[in-house]
Amino acid sequence: MSFILSAAAKDLRRWWRDPMVLLVWLGIPLLIGGLITSLMSGGGSGVRPTGVLLVVDQDDSLVSRAVTGMFGQGELAEMITLKAVSIEDGRTQMDAGDASALLVIPAGFGEAWLREQPATLTLRTNPAQKILPQIITEGLELLLDAGFYAQRAFGEEIKVIADWRETGREAEAGRIDAIVAAVRDRLESVKAYLLPPAVTVELVETGQEADKVSLALLFLPGIVLMAVMFTASGLASDIWEEREQGTLRRLSSSPQDIVKFLLGKTLAATLVLFCITGITLVLGFALHGMAWSRLAPALAWTVLSGAGLFLWFAAVQMLAPTRRAAGLISSIIVFPLLMAGGSFFPLAALPDWIAAFGRLTPNGFVAEQLTSEITSAAGWAITPASWGLILLIGIAGLGVAATQLSRGFAQR
Amino acid sequence: MIAVDSLRRLYGDVVAVEDVSFRAGEGMVFGLLGPNGAGKSTVINCISGLLKPSSGHVSVAGFDLQREPRKARSALGVVPQELALYEDLPAVENLRYWGAAYGLKGTELKTRVEEVLGYIGLGDRAKDLPKTFSGGMKRRLNFGCGIVHRPRVLLLDEPTVGVDPQSRERLFAMVEEQRDAGACVLYTTHYMEEAERLCNQLVIIDHGRVLAAGTVAGLRAKLGERDTLLLTGDFPDGAASRAVERLVGNGLRDLEIIATAGDSLKLTLSDGSRHLAAVFEALAAVGARVDESNLRRPNLETLFLKLTGKELRA
Repeated sequence: MSFILSAAAKDLRRWWRDPMVLLVWLGIPLLIGGLITSLMSGGGSGVRPTGVLLVVDQDDSLVSRAVTGMFGQGELAEMITLKAVSIEDGRTQMDAGDASALLVIPAGFGEAWLREQPATLTLRTNPAQKILPQIITEGLELLLDAGFYAQRAFGEEIKVIADWRETGREAEAGRIDAIVAAVRDRLESVKAYLLPPAVTVELVETGQEADKVSLALLFLPGIVLMAVMFTASGLASDIWEEREQGTLRRLSSSPQDIVKFLLGKTLAATLVLFCITGITLVLGFALHGMAWSRLAPALAWTVLSGAGLFLWFAAVQMLAPTRRAAGLISSIIVFPLLMAGGSFFPLAALPDWIAAFGRLTPNGFVAEQLTSEITSAAGWAITPASWGLILLIGIAGLGVAATQLSRGFAQR
Repeated sequence: MIAVDSLRRLYGDVVAVEDVSFRAGEGMVFGLLGPNGAGKSTVINCISGLLKPSSGHVSVAGFDLQREPRKARSALGVVPQELALYEDLPAVENLRYWGAAYGLKGTELKTRVEEVLGYIGLGDRAKDLPKTFSGGMKRRLNFGCGIVHRPRVLLLDEPTVGVDPQSRERLFAMVEEQRDAGACVLYTTHYMEEAERLCNQLVIIDHGRVLAAGTVAGLRAKLGERDTLLLTGDFPDGAASRAVERLVGNGLRDLEIIATAGDSLKLTLSDGSRHLAAVFEALAAVGARVDESNLRRPNLETLFLKLTGKELRA
């Protein structure tokens, strides 16, 4: 045990002298993760667009005021400022690009609507703008649809009112009562569908955080695994550094067991992985507002997996004939694995066949389990079988790496 | 302390070492002498456990290397030819790590590391990184890492390669101190003067085979070579021959001319320093003039030349 700790302390001291490398391993995934999160969450400050709707109301009726009044209601009022203008001013301002749209309500529009006769509203939009003209157009279309359905539902009553307006006769009290009663009856008949709506949305709470799972959050495991892969493969290359410095040879002539040396190196790598994945996960948890109770299992899972990956990377690098070849082999392995294992695109967002393949990759498997851990209702969601599997893979990596070392890599 | 019996090591079909046997005891420096590629490093690697012998036996401090490798290695200290240091770890940490690798711990480790730092003359550079050291300082630290656990057997593989004269002297002194402290030092080199200065006994190997073994004095005696006398001056035609005839007639029977030219003469003779005056007198008597003389005694270099027909450093 004493030598394992000595070996680990030795490596930690050495690696600590090159903090830039550690920062790069941490920085690249954080940079990518930050960019993805910004893109996924919109990255804006939440400020709504605002604009001006110029209105030329040549009708100046109850109906025309109802049309323009719609844009002064609710959220539309926060975005659109109505401005009454003459037709000339309106055209001038539109030509200058000072407004989002110009609405012209012709004289007789209200009367035409009451009598269900054709009428034309003119809407001129600003081609330099996209969102506000679209909102105004759709709002106006919605209003016209509402007018159409009002005619279908209360056409008779509207016609009577129009006649009174046209003839100037005083309305009879009994007739008014009859119209009110008819409108009330018709509203009563559709009340069951409109008030409240026949279709209701039932919100089912499947977990405390379930409604907060976003695409950006699904990226988090992949980003964490990217940091793990970079760190594990980078630290594993230290085995070549040891060989080139002659220290492996010297160790081979000592009475120490090569497995203890490897365990020491793995312990040091585990501590580095703990720091790097710890920082990545803490930032991810803070950014996505996840429950901190999940941090411990997520961290334990990632660090254990990282230690296993470190041992396998070391074993693979020892197969190479030169250090340069070892670095090349590592890169050839790391980047496709990151791609397939969901570090650049979450497995959930990939086509099924690619996702199925990705789940078979070591980092894909680890990321998938990590996703289930951080998105599940309860903590410690990763199954004992998965923990056992990753432990076995790590032990196998230790065995293979130790065999490689004792079969000549250390003595060469 | 080191017993090597009928050591044989093959690399595929190539025989690197064949039938090498020797014994090295405590309190001595045992030299392994030979040119580059002679098989010295293979022998060292077999003793340090880095290579498995194809056949033969090696034991260190009484422990068979095959049967009790850990005990044998515990008694060994290795100072490899190429530096084996953590360049990015301070000198004191290097020593601490290698001490721990040989089982030292706690106060014993701390005390011993401080002792060694002083011993190798790096006490004031303990916290500095080896990559900031000169070549000689690195060599000393390399040596320190090999002796931090007080090994009973010390293997030094060409420890002075690329070392400045001052550091070389310091290394020689450290080797002698280890020997005087009772360690068995196996020292490989291709520098004759190092072997002659340090080694109590040595074996000369070439092409993986032992050519000669024994003490330095014994090997010199075995050589039986005569001294070589190089003279420059003025040697008229026939003068050198007449002088040699006269000297042989007076009892210098093994005196011979190796080469002669107008201004130089090369002679061989036994016990040259005792007969120098007679040689000068005889040459003067035949009209020759000696301006400068150089008498070379037989050494391991000439022995190696005689045994292999080639220069040691070739």
